Amino acid sequence: MTWRETAVTWILLLAGFFAAWSVAAATLPVPAYVLPAPMAVVEAGRDLVVKGILPTYVAESLRRMLTAAVIAFAIGVPVGLALGMSRRLAEFAYPVLNFFQSVSGIAWLPLMLVWFGFGERTILIAVNYTVIFPVTLNALLGVRSVPRIYVSGLRTLGASRWRIARDVILPGSLPSIATGMRLGLAYGWRALIAAEMLVGAHGLGFMIFTAQNFHLTARIMLGMVVIGALWLVLDYFVLRPLEQATIERWGLIQR
Amino acid sequence: MVKALRGLAPFVVLVAAWEVVSRSGLVAEIFLPRPEDVARTGWAMALDGSLWVNIAASLGRVLVGLVVSVPLAVGAGVLVGLSRRLAVVLEPVAGFFNALSGIAWLPLAVTWFGLGWGSVTFIMVNTVFFLVFFNTLVGVRTVPRVFEHAVRTLGGSRWHLIVQVLIPGAMPSIVAGIRMSIGFGWRALIAAEMIATSTGLGFLIFNAQNFHQTDTILVGIITIGLLWLATDRLLLQPLERWTVERWGLVSS
Repeated sequence: MTWRETAVTWILLLAGFFAAWSVAAATLPVPAYVLPAPMAVVEAGRDLVVKGILPTYVAESLRRMLTAAVIAFAIGVPVGLALGMSRRLAEFAYPVLNFFQSVSGIAWLPLMLVWFGFGERTILIAVNYTVIFPVTLNALLGVRSVPRIYVSGLRTLGASRWRIARDVILPGSLPSIATGMRLGLAYGWRALIAAEMLVGAHGLGFMIFTAQNFHLTARIMLGMVVIGALWLVLDYFVLRPLEQATIERWGLIQR
Repeated sequence: MVKALRGLAPFVVLVAAWEVVSRSGLVAEIFLPRPEDVARTGWAMALDGSLWVNIAASLGRVLVGLVVSVPLAVGAGVLVGLSRRLAVVLEPVAGFFNALSGIAWLPLAVTWFGLGWGSVTFIMVNTVFFLVFFNTLVGVRTVPRVFEHAVRTLGGSRWHLIVQVLIPGAMPSIVAGIRMSIGFGWRALIAAEMIATSTGLGFLIFNAQNFHQTDTILVGIITIGLLWLATDRLLLQPLERWTVERWGLVSS
C-alpha cells in the first residue's frame, strides 16, 4: 500500500468518524454534557489555550514527569547495576524489588498522603516510586543477562574489575535498561495522571478531574486527547527509538 | 522447598528492618505502625470478612474485564488484521487508545455511568480491550504471508485461515497482551476504586487514609502486592510460557 492510499484511507476514516460523532451528538436524545459535539471539544481547546490554562497544565505535568524520570534514572540505574554485579545480592534483591514494582505508586498514595500531606511532594514521590522500580529491576536483570563468558574472557586477558564493569557489563545491560525506562515511564505517566486527580494540584489529571465536577465533558475529552497524544509523542519519538537503538547497537551481545 | 525459603529471606530482612525502625521511636506510630499491629489488623479484617469482600470486589472487576474484553478484542483484532489496508490504518488508532488507557478515562466514565460499579469496571474493560486488540492486530500482521498462501493454495477457506493460521500465529502476542493488560488494568483499577466507588482494595486504603488508619492501609498495600505476584506467577507466566512453547515457532 502506497503512502497515498494510506493517507486517503486515513482521511476517509477520520471524516467518517467525525461525521458520525456530529450526527450522534446532534440527534441522540442525551444532554450535551453526556456527548458533546466535536466542535465543542475544539472550542474547549481554543478556550483553554487562550486562557493559558492548557499550556500551564501541560508544562506542569511534563515537568513532574521529567523530574521523576531523571531522579529515577539517576538512582535506579546505578543501584540496579551494583546489585546485579553480585549474583547473591541479585538473588536477594530481586523478589523485594519485584514486590515493590507490583504495588503501584498509586496504591502507596494513601500512605504517602498521611506521611507527606496533600501537595507537590506527594505527587512527585508517588510518580518517582512508580518509575524507579522497573528501572532498577531491569538494570539488575540486564547485568545478569550478560553472558559470563565475556566477563571471564576479559578477566583472562587481565582486565580490572572496573574495566569489566565499564566495557562489558554496562553496554551489555543497556538494552534492558532502555526497556525498563520505557516501562517505568509508561506506568509513571498513568500514575501521574491518577495522582494529580487524587491530590489535586494542577496538571492534566487535575484538569480533567475537576472538569467532571462541572460537567465540562468537552474539556474532559480534550484533556484525554492531550494526555494520549503527549504519551504517543514521547513513546514514538523518544523512548522507542532509544530502545531500538540500544538493542541494535548492543543487543547482539546476547546471541 | 529450599528455594522457596530462600525467596522468603529478603522479606524477613525487610520486616525485621521495619520492626527496628518502628520500635526505635524515630517515626511516630501513627505514621508507621509496627509489623505486628499490621498483622493483627489484617487478621481482624480477615475474620470479620471486610478484607475478603474488598478482595472479591477488585478481583471480580478484573474478571469481568477479562471475560468481556478478551473475546471481543481478539475477534476485532483478527477481523481487522484480515485486511492489510484496514490494519495499517487502525494500528495507530489502537496505539493511541493504549496510550490513553486506564485512569484518564475515569472522568468521562463517571459522567457516563455515574459513581460506582459501572465506571470502575469500564476502566478495566477499556484497558484490557485496547491492549489485547492492539497485540492481536500486531500478532496477526506478523504471521508470515507464506503460511496464508499455503493454506489458501491447499484449498483452505477463510475460516480455516483464521482458525488454523492467524489465531494460533498471533497467540504468543495475544497472551503477552493479556498479561500486560492485567498489569496496567490492575493499577488503573486501584486508582479508579479510590475515586469512584465504595468497594474494592483501592477504596479500602483510600478510605483508611481519611482516618489516618495506617495499619489498614498497609494491610491493603501488602494484599495488592501479594495478589499481583500470585496472579503473575501462578497464572500469567505459565500461560505465556506454554503459549510460546506451543505456538511460538510459527512467527519466527
